[in-house]
Amino acid sequence: MISPRGCLFSILQPVLLRSNPGRLVSRSAVLSSNRPRIPLHLRPPNFSATVADLKKWHIWAKNLVSSVGSTFLDLDNGPDSTLLQRELTWLIQDAFENPNKVSFQNSNDDDSVVSLRVCLDDLYKMWKQRIEERRPFQYVVGCEHWRDLVLSVEEGVLIPRPETEMIVDLVNDAVNENEELRDGLWADLGTGSGALAIGIGRILGDPGKVIATDLSPVAVSVASYNVQRYNLQDKIAVKQGSWFEPLKNVEGGLAGLVSNPPYIPSDHIGGLQAEVAKHEPRLALDGGANGMNDLLHLCHGAVFMLKPGGFVALETNGEIQSKFLVDHMDTETKGSFHDVKIISDFAGIQRFVTGYKAR
Amino acid sequence: MSFIILKRLRNQNSSLIINNPGLKIHLYTSFYSSLSEPRHRNSPTPIYNKSILASGHVFLCNRNNWFSSLLREILNIPCVPVSARLLSSQAAVEKSTSDGLTVEGIIANGWNIYDENESDWKSHASAIAQSIHLIKKRLRWKNLIPKLETLSDQLSKPDLWNDPVHAGKISREHGSLMGKMKEVDAFEQELLEHIEMIKLAREENDAELESESQNALLTMRRNIKEKELEALLAGEHDSCSCFIEVQAGAGGTESMDWASMVMQMYKKWAERRGFGVSVVDEMPGEMAGIKRATIRVDGEYAFGYAKAEVGAHRLVRISPFDSNKRRHTSFASVAVIPILGDGFSRVQINESDLRIERFRAGGAGGQHVNTTESAVRITHIPTGVSASCQNERSQHQNKASAMAVLQSRLDQLEMKRQAEMNSEHTQSLTDINFGSQIRSYVLHPYRMVKDHRTDFEVSHPDSVLEGDLDGFILSFLSASLDKDEDAHL
Repeated sequence: MISPRGCLFSILQPVLLRSNPGRLVSRSAVLSSNRPRIPLHLRPPNFSATVADLKKWHIWAKNLVSSVGSTFLDLDNGPDSTLLQRELTWLIQDAFENPNKVSFQNSNDDDSVVSLRVCLDDLYKMWKQRIEERRPFQYVVGCEHWRDLVLSVEEGVLIPRPETEMIVDLVNDAVNENEELRDGLWADLGTGSGALAIGIGRILGDPGKVIATDLSPVAVSVASYNVQRYNLQDKIAVKQGSWFEPLKNVEGGLAGLVSNPPYIPSDHIGGLQAEVAKHEPRLALDGGANGMNDLLHLCHGAVFMLKPGGFVALETNGEIQSKFLVDHMDTETKGSFHDVKIISDFAGIQRFVTGYKAR
Repeated sequence: MSFIILKRLRNQNSSLIINNPGLKIHLYTSFYSSLSEPRHRNSPTPIYNKSILASGHVFLCNRNNWFSSLLREILNIPCVPVSARLLSSQAAVEKSTSDGLTVEGIIANGWNIYDENESDWKSHASAIAQSIHLIKKRLRWKNLIPKLETLSDQLSKPDLWNDPVHAGKISREHGSLMGKMKEVDAFEQELLEHIEMIKLAREENDAELESESQNALLTMRRNIKEKELEALLAGEHDSCSCFIEVQAGAGGTESMDWASMVMQMYKKWAERRGFGVSVVDEMPGEMAGIKRATIRVDGEYAFGYAKAEVGAHRLVRISPFDSNKRRHTSFASVAVIPILGDGFSRVQINESDLRIERFRAGGAGGQHVNTTESAVRITHIPTGVSASCQNERSQHQNKASAMAVLQSRLDQLEMKRQAEMNSEHTQSLTDINFGSQIRSYVLHPYRMVKDHRTDFEVSHPDSVLEGDLDGFILSFLSASLDKDEDAHL
C-alpha cells in the first residue's frame, strides 16, 4: 500500500490518516522514526512543468484562496484569504527551483519549462489539503521558519509557535548576565521539532551542551534530523523519554531548563482551530483538566535538576497559568527559586515564567 | 592645416599598415615633429596645436595599440599628457576642432538627436555634447577650477603634513577632482577628434574612415550616457539601497487599487534595473488594492534613482469599482528612504525606547493557534516613529526587517533635522514630502502621463505602469541639477 517514493507517500499520508487515524498514526510514527520527511525546499528539483500549466495551477489555487474569504476566521479563528495568499507565495518559493525567475504575469514564455521539487499533480494535492482539509501549511511544505532557523516538521510533531521564539531571547539575556550559564548543561524538555534546543545550542559557549527530550519517537527523529541539519550533533543530545526520565544521571547539574509543555486544558482541545485540533499531536497540546499538569511537574522537577543559580523558563497558556505558577513557586516550592518573573509575549499575553534556582 | 597632415598620414597609414611598420614609424615621427613647431597664424585658440597634437596621438593609441606604444617608447611621451597640461595652465581655454567647433558650439547648433540606431554623426555628436554638458553641470564645473587651485595651494604648503589626517583629506579631494576634470576633458577631446576625422573622411571620400569614426562616436555616445547617469547620482546617499513606500490617498477602494498599481510599477521598474526587490510590509485594502506597502529595493544607486519619485501620484480614469462608470481621480503618495550602509553615521537606538507588538494577534495565542502570521510592529517611543513587517516567515525575521525599516526612518529623520539646520540644503531631495503632486496618469478621456515638475510626458501610460520610468526619473534628476546650479552659481 505504501509507495516507496517519498513524494507520493507524503501526499497520501494525511489523506489516509484521516480515513483511518488509529492505525496510520502508529504506522507513520514507526516510519518517521526511521526516516524523517525531507522538507519540500530541500528536495531535489526532479520534476518540471510548463509555465502555462503552472499558471493554470496558480489561478486555480488563487481562486480557492478567494473562496475562503473569512470563513475559517469566523468559524474557528483560522486563516483568512490574505494569509492563505501569502502561504501560496511561500509554497511557490519552496516548490520551485528558481522561484524568482518565474513570472505568472508575462504572457510570452508559456512554453518555457520550470524545474520543480514536486510533480504538478502534487502541487494540486498540496494546496487542496491546505484549503479543504485545513492541513497546516507547515506540514504541507514540511518546514517551519522559526527565528532564523528553518526546521523540518511533520505530522506527529508540534509546529513551533512564534511566541516560543522569545524563550531563546530570555536565555540569551540570562547567559549574558552570567557567563557560567553559557558554558553549562541545558535541557529542553518536550523538544518537539528541537526548536528551543537548537536556538539555545547556537548561543551557548564552546563547553555548553543541551539535552533535548521528548516522549514521542516521531519528535525524537525529527529533532535529531534538525539538529544534524544545523550540524549541532556534538552539542545537542536528543533522548526519548518522559520529561526528566532521560536526565536521571545529571540531577542537580543543569545550568538551565526550558520547556514549552502541553498547557491547553483538555476540554478546550475540541474547540481549537482545525489546523491544530485535527492535525497537530494531542500529546503536545493537552495539559490536563486545567492545563497545568505538566507545568507543575516541570516546576517541581526543576528544583532537583537545576544547580544553584540555574535558570528556568517555561511557556504557559497566559495570565491565569503564569500567575498560578508563580504563586505555586512562592508557596509550594518556597525558597527554591528567586527572581521569579512573568514575561509577556509581543501580543501582550503573560506568556512566560522565568526564575533562578536559589543558591 | 594640421588635419591635412593627419589626413595624409591616415591615407598612407592605411595603405602601409600591414606591410611596412618601419616606414610607418617614420611617418608618424615626422608628423609629430611637424606639429611640434607651431605654425598657425591668426589662430583663434592658442591651445589649438596642443589639442590636435593630443588628438592625433590619442587617436593612434586607440587605433593601433602595439604601434602607439612603440611610438611612445621612441618619443618618450606618456599616453595622455595633454589634459593634465591643460588643467594646470589653460583649463579655461575651450577646445575646438580645426574649424572652431566647440562642445558648447555643438549644443548651440541644436542638431536633432535621433535614436542611437540612426547613423547620423551630428545626432551622436549632439547627444554626446549634451551628456558632457550635464556632467559638467553636475560637477559644478565653473567652481571646480578655483576649488582645485585652493587645494593645490594648500597641498604646496610645507607644513601641510603636520596634520596627516587633514593632509590626507586634502590630497584625496585634490586627486578626486583632478580625476573628474581629466575624465571630462578627455571626453571633450575625444568628441572633437571624432568629428575632425569624419569631416576629413568626407573631404577625402573615405567611406571606411567615415564609418569607423561614426562607430567610434556611437560607442562613445553609449559610454558617456552611463557616465552621465553616474554624474546625476552624486548625492551623498545616492548609492544606497532604499525602501519605497506607497500609501493610498483618500477615496476608498479606487485609490487603494491605484496604490497597488503604483507599487507594482515600482516593483517592475526595480526588477528591470536589476535591483533586488522584497516586500517588507503590506496592508491590503478590504476589497482590492493596498492601504499602504513598503518594499525594499537593493542595489547600487537604488536611492539615487528612486528619490525622484517622492510625492503624490494622481490617477484619472473610469473606475472599475464604480457601477455607474464615472470618472474618478485618485492619489497615492510615495516616500523613499535610503538605507545607509556602513560608513554613514546612524542613529543609535536604545532598546528600552522600543515597544514591540504582535500584529493582528487575536485570542489566546501560543499552542491554541497555528498561524503563519507573525508580523510585528516596532514603535520608537520618543519619536513615535514606527515600522512593521509581515512578509517574512518567522517572527524573528519580521522583527529584524521591521527594525531595519525603523532604523532607516530614524536615520532619515535625523538627516532632515541636520539639513534644516544647514540652510543650504533645505531644498534637499531627501526631504520627506508626501504632499506635493508630482505626476498625473490620465487613462481617460485621453491617455497620457505627465510629470508636473519637468513637463516630461508620454502618451502610453501602460508602459509607464509596467515600470518604464527611467525617462521621468532622469529628466527630473537633470532638471533638479539645473535648479541646483542656479542656486549655487
